[in-house]
Amino acid sequence: MPSLARYIRGIRAVGLKEWWHQMQYIGDVKAGTFVGSDQFGNRYFENLNPEQEVPGRHRWVDFAQHDLNASQVPAEWHAWLSHIRREPPPQDVIMQNSTPSWKAPWVENLTGTRGAYRPYNTVKPKIEAWQPKVAQRGTPLQ
Amino acid sequence: MAFVRHPSLGLSTRLLLSRATGTPSVTLVSLRHLSTSRRTLQAQPTHSTRDSPTHAKSPRLETGVYSARDEPGKYVNPYEGGPSALEKAAHLFFFTEIVRGMWLVLEQFFRPPYTIMYPFEKGPLSPRFRGEHALRRYPSGEERCIACKLCEAICPAQAITIESEARLDGSRRTTKYDIDMTKCIYCGFCQEACPVDAIVETQNQEFSTETREELLYNKEKLLAIGDRAEAEIAANLHADHVYR
Repeated sequence: MPSLARYIRGIRAVGLKEWWHQMQYIGDVKAGTFVGSDQFGNRYFENLNPEQEVPGRHRWVDFAQHDLNASQVPAEWHAWLSHIRREPPPQDVIMQNSTPSWKAPWVENLTGTRGAYRPYNTVKPKIEAWQPKVAQRGTPLQ
Repeated sequence: MAFVRHPSLGLSTRLLLSRATGTPSVTLVSLRHLSTSRRTLQAQPTHSTRDSPTHAKSPRLETGVYSARDEPGKYVNPYEGGPSALEKAAHLFFFTEIVRGMWLVLEQFFRPPYTIMYPFEKGPLSPRFRGEHALRRYPSGEERCIACKLCEAICPAQAITIESEARLDGSRRTTKYDIDMTKCIYCGFCQEACPVDAIVETQNQEFSTETREELLYNKEKLLAIGDRAEAEIAANLHADHVYR
């Protein structure tokens, strides 16, 4: 529950450096257990104590990038962060077993950048512009 | 139909029940006066002697038949147990409900907020959540879609366009699988219709774009979404498979 006592307890738990970092991003001091980090360096935390965190705010992510974006969370951690899966991906056996060998690397939403998706046609177009075919000229007459 | 003829069944029971519970609850009526509303925002149910309050089951058959007609001439004082006229007048002239309303607002100021700080924390989603579409592959890496066009047929927004052709090995595959995400209403009929679980809706809802054309997904985009989110899709299908 947000209160002054919780705030001070949070600062004492996470330390001054982490407190400053959290105030720049989450805007609140949240102390919890470190659950894991993904391949991009985003760190995931959990605090299941209802006295310290409001239920519903008990899982959170600390983004690695300054220019943060919700789509920077890869799919496995997205499932954990959205409370779809109970266990985080390092402990989730079902998630690990359903990971195929051909899994593609996660790409964040690149809209507004040069890497943004541009739609294109995957088949031969049915309507084509007229291409004039010039007949062979200048052949010597027999 | 015995349903209609029997007086203690069906609709008539409910009508009688509501009238029977409405008449004797004097405290309930007085609690609903605006000028005398207590700080308890909900009226406490009056305990009847006929049904025990310990277990909340549907009342017995003869319960609802009891009405004011069974006790003719019984006088019920509607002001009994309620506030006096002086008290009501004091509430009325001193605008106490305004003060009480402002006190309620003041109490909210000191209560903890329940705001979920969105990009860092997220609200719960269902494994059946219907977000961005994806085309899946078999574990061998072979694409699932067999171009049966059932999703295209069932799509109520007609957002899906499919063209198919025989591949070199003779199997029928799509050459074009376009979903217009601006048309899509995310009803999930496509994934219901799919016989091979090829088209699914992932739990990703963060695919907003700056331009409209980026939402016209083609087959390669859909396959790419499926390739990178396959673990989450498969885990969600596994979590839900007992209900299918």
